[in-house]
Amino acid sequence: MGFGDRGGRGGRGGRGGGRGGARGGARGGFGGGRGGGRGGFGGVQKRGGFGGAGGRGRGGARGGRGGARGGARGGAKVIVEPHRHAGVFVARGKEDLLVTKNLVPGESVYGEKRISVEGGDGTKTEYRVWNPFRSKLAAGILGGVDHIHIGPGKRVLYLGGASGTTVSHVADVVGPEGLVYAVEFSHRSGRDLINMAKKRTNVIPIIEDARHPHKYRMLVGMVDVIFADVAQPDQARIIALNAHNFLKNGGHIVISIKANCIDSTVEAAKVFASEVKKLQQEKIKPQEQLTLEPYERDHALVVGVYRPPPKKN
Amino acid sequence: MSSLRNAVRQRTHRERGQLPGRERLGQLEKHKDYVKRAKDYNFKEKRLSALRQKAHFRNPDEFYFKMINSQTKNGVHITERAKSLPDDMRKLLKSQDLNYVGYARSIDKKKIERLQGDLQFIGVADEEDEEDADEEMLLDGGASNAGPVKPTHTLFVDSEEQARKLDVAKHFDTLPELVQRRFNRPTIDQLKTQEIIGPDGAALEKLRKQRSRKYRELEARLDRDTKLADVEREIVIQKSLMSKGRRKKIGTDKHGLPVYKWKADRKK
Repeated sequence: MGFGDRGGRGGRGGRGGGRGGARGGARGGFGGGRGGGRGGFGGVQKRGGFGGAGGRGRGGARGGRGGARGGARGGAKVIVEPHRHAGVFVARGKEDLLVTKNLVPGESVYGEKRISVEGGDGTKTEYRVWNPFRSKLAAGILGGVDHIHIGPGKRVLYLGGASGTTVSHVADVVGPEGLVYAVEFSHRSGRDLINMAKKRTNVIPIIEDARHPHKYRMLVGMVDVIFADVAQPDQARIIALNAHNFLKNGGHIVISIKANCIDSTVEAAKVFASEVKKLQQEKIKPQEQLTLEPYERDHALVVGVYRPPPKKN
Repeated sequence: MSSLRNAVRQRTHRERGQLPGRERLGQLEKHKDYVKRAKDYNFKEKRLSALRQKAHFRNPDEFYFKMINSQTKNGVHITERAKSLPDDMRKLLKSQDLNYVGYARSIDKKKIERLQGDLQFIGVADEEDEEDADEEMLLDGGASNAGPVKPTHTLFVDSEEQARKLDVAKHFDTLPELVQRRFNRPTIDQLKTQEIIGPDGAALEKLRKQRSRKYRELEARLDRDTKLADVEREIVIQKSLMSKGRRKKIGTDKHGLPVYKWKADRKK
């Protein structure tokens, strides 16, 4: 490196180079190469301070991370354990992953990882990773909810589909025999939802306000379960409206409640209790409630049954 | 004509490469490489000799201001830069520091997100805790077992008697030893019929180690993120203290940093 005549800059370059060397990656090398060249006395050999990998330029061979690959690939190194809820799996390898069987093998929906696992008879199955930090339903599943009522062959009305990330996993779970009606009001995220639905024929995207179910009543048939992630103050009313219109008697609702969206002044547990009360008034009998720590703060998943058949004594 | 002849007689020019036995020394040095190396060497030699000469002819009685303005502490050269810089310059440096901390944090945040996507805390919160059963209504505040990160699971049943009688394992249709395994409680039916394919023995142990290493990394990064957030807050305070205006210390926040309040002055 330089001899400190031009002071700070030379020194900086040198240090950058050193770091690149230690990490051995092209990223560190980038800093090293450039800084080093500038720092020296315009010497002939433009090398980073400590040479080695530091000298590799910006476009050096193969960048740090090999794109979306890497990570959980490599089938034999993963244990795929069927989950309590049919259609969901847990993959435990060097990572802990909740996964669903990919309905459209070879494609990711929102850039999530895929793992392909060889079964006992030599057939390969591809799974998609379901991130509980992004999906409340996944968080609920990992939190240990008793029933999600979403399983192979079920018809699901999904309120608040957003960009269709969770919807795509629900579509994986219900499989080709099932059906998912995904309702989303926003056009912007609805666009992604529609694009996702182009690949998954069991998803029917509906870009409408869930407050007005009569607007899409022609599209939606009777459903077995309603999943709602609408985060609106009047979400109990929205869900009840849709349940009255489309949910079969004895069908189930699964809703995610964000306490802040209902009332940010009261503590979360009170909000959940009041929401459950509201559901009860709408002939929805609560069955279980699960808070979504550590994935979300002040969120809860509530599962209920709509107009349950009378008990036989 | 001659051009045609040349075209025929042209032989491919082949460059000599490094001998197989000497590959550890890198690529074979060519003349142009030698020239570069020699120039660099001579340049350094000249520089060194010039410095040596300078040191040799140094006048020991001469006075330089750097002699009193700078010093070395444990071999580290220290200049009193901060004091000598004007206020607005220091403010600028602070903003650069702040930007750098923000930058470092954003990198960390991305990495945390990716790690969390990989790890998902499966089975981390599954320690000894009991499920709650309650008749018709919620427990008040759900206070019974909710730790800071543990989820609270409430089951609604019809009567108080049912709540008392409730057998959690039976309710979940699983084995009693699997009740605490929140992330997956297979049903008894599943346990009977389904088989699980995967590695075993040493490979499994290796995977477990790799996984725990990742968890450690995530933990370290989360820890670092909170520390960097503290640093960020502190720099913001320092920077705003350099600005004008009357202020008063009104206490300390939960991180132990002082909190100031500025008097609302009308800006003209």
